[in-house]
Amino acid sequence: MALRELSSLEKFLGLKKPHKYSTQGVKKVPLLQSNNGPALVGLATIASHLAKEAKKPELLGTTPEQRAVVQQWLEFRVTRIDECPREEIRTVLKDLNQYLEDKVYLAGNSLSIADPLLYYAIHHIVVDLAVQEKERYMNLTRWFDHIQHYPGVRHHLAPVVVLRNRVYTSCHH
Amino acid sequence: MVQSQQKLDRVLVRVEELTPEKADQLIWVRARIHTSRAKGKQCFVVLRQQQFNVQALVAVGDRASKQMVKFAANITKESIVDVEAVVRTVEQKIESCSQQDVELHIERIFVISQAEPRLPLQLEDAVRPEGEGDEEARATVNQDTKLDNRVIDLRTTTSQAIFRLQSGVCQLFRDTLIKKGFVEIQTPKIISAASEGGANVFTVSYFKTSAYLAQSPQLYKQMCICADFDKVFCVGPAEGWKAPHCFYADTQNSFQTEIQTVNKQYPSEPFKFLEPTLRLEYTEGVAMLRAAGVEMGDEEDLSTPNEKLLGRLVKEKYDTDFYVLDKYPLAVRPFYTMPDPSNPKYSNSYDMFMRGEEILSGAQRVHDAQLLTERALHHSIDLEKIKAYIDSFRYGAPPHAGGGIGLERVTMLYLGLHNVRQTSMFPRDPKRLTP
Repeated sequence: MALRELSSLEKFLGLKKPHKYSTQGVKKVPLLQSNNGPALVGLATIASHLAKEAKKPELLGTTPEQRAVVQQWLEFRVTRIDECPREEIRTVLKDLNQYLEDKVYLAGNSLSIADPLLYYAIHHIVVDLAVQEKERYMNLTRWFDHIQHYPGVRHHLAPVVVLRNRVYTSCHH
Repeated sequence: MVQSQQKLDRVLVRVEELTPEKADQLIWVRARIHTSRAKGKQCFVVLRQQQFNVQALVAVGDRASKQMVKFAANITKESIVDVEAVVRTVEQKIESCSQQDVELHIERIFVISQAEPRLPLQLEDAVRPEGEGDEEARATVNQDTKLDNRVIDLRTTTSQAIFRLQSGVCQLFRDTLIKKGFVEIQTPKIISAASEGGANVFTVSYFKTSAYLAQSPQLYKQMCICADFDKVFCVGPAEGWKAPHCFYADTQNSFQTEIQTVNKQYPSEPFKFLEPTLRLEYTEGVAMLRAAGVEMGDEEDLSTPNEKLLGRLVKEKYDTDFYVLDKYPLAVRPFYTMPDPSNPKYSNSYDMFMRGEEILSGAQRVHDAQLLTERALHHSIDLEKIKAYIDSFRYGAPPHAGGGIGLERVTMLYLGLHNVRQTSMFPRDPKRLTP
């Protein structure tokens, strides 16, 4: 799962030559063997490395503050979402929805590597949401629709239909 | 106890007629004690008659003694009383009563039927909207308790409004159909075998054998068509006929008060519809669902969640709560449905929806015995079981179509309620057989 993401990420970053990844441990943590140094372990680490390799360091954040937020979201994705138990999904969606109320991107005012990586992570949850639930998490759905249509991001994932107009306008359902 | 001992010379005035026009008149009223509250030398009583209530006052004076005031204060709630009183106008409107401009000054009060002191539920609680109950920690009554004590629950203003509206709906249906030349018929409710080849759910013992409670009077309506009654309908536990759009306009006009009363406890959006009625074809409905991300086959039936979603999509696109979905796939309809002449995969059948929920399922029926037999065989139905049904089409049968509507569902959906038991006077379900 993580390996497909990394492959999509490489395409998004415009890296011509795909890397060969392996996995480590029971949880299948991705591992990238590098020629001149220790192996890179972990999705967040590898993603940061790839961004630098593609000469797009701005995707990791332009200001120190933005960089910190990007890293925070990468960590969030790996720790809170990847192994999220079913009961917690609602809470996570609610939190994300609240966070995204006044933001276009997760970190700062431009796309960072956190956006596609979080998109890959929650796709499998969002794809199964009913129309009504997508409307309940309005901000999350708006952000999701924005990122999934961003050139070069979607790749292997199915597009999620987001209706242009609200159909559940009243609170009665 | 009133045992019709004598004919009283009393004219009972209805509470709803207590207006300033009757000021200073001495009148009799028979009503229920809604509330009674003693305050020193006075007792304030609210008298209730169906949806109407009026404030009444017993005060110590030359007409009433201290004992009488005490007596009035102690009459149990819901007791039925006869009251002789003078109608007086009031300076300040009495907001809490339906009759806001007058109050009664009681001279005599008699208890006609006493209610037991401990009521199984309080009417104010039964009428309280759900949300309000939680916020202010005041009780609401849950549905099971209401249904267990239906006689008391039906006295609330909301219930009175719902069932008076329902009666109006039934009457409007009748009037509209009769005006269009329909004949009302009565059909048997005990039958010998399944007319639709479906399962018989309720068996009854019938003399020396068994019979079944009819699930639908359809067979008999069709037989009447073959018997040259041209247009028939019957009202009963199962079917009716399609609702013309004029019915909605009439209901809105005649039952404004009732609709508002129900909305006080159960707020909802007013019912919207288009003239002429919106008719969508099944394929269009499927296309709309697919555009919203639903995956379904061309000939697949609509699941209830999909029906509800489609209702929402139609509302958003066309701004109507009522629409007809026509040309259902043949594969998902009963064997007696007439196939679509232009496309064998579809049929001349339709469903009608209110607020995204189905209220009618109907079709042009197969009126040819030959075709009917073929369709039955195609559905693997035992021809023996439906022999009488097929026989009715052998001797010249007119082409015909029809459908059945749920009166209770229509009332529920029109008012924007969410549980059909609210609009069913004494509902039956797998767990409920009484009252």
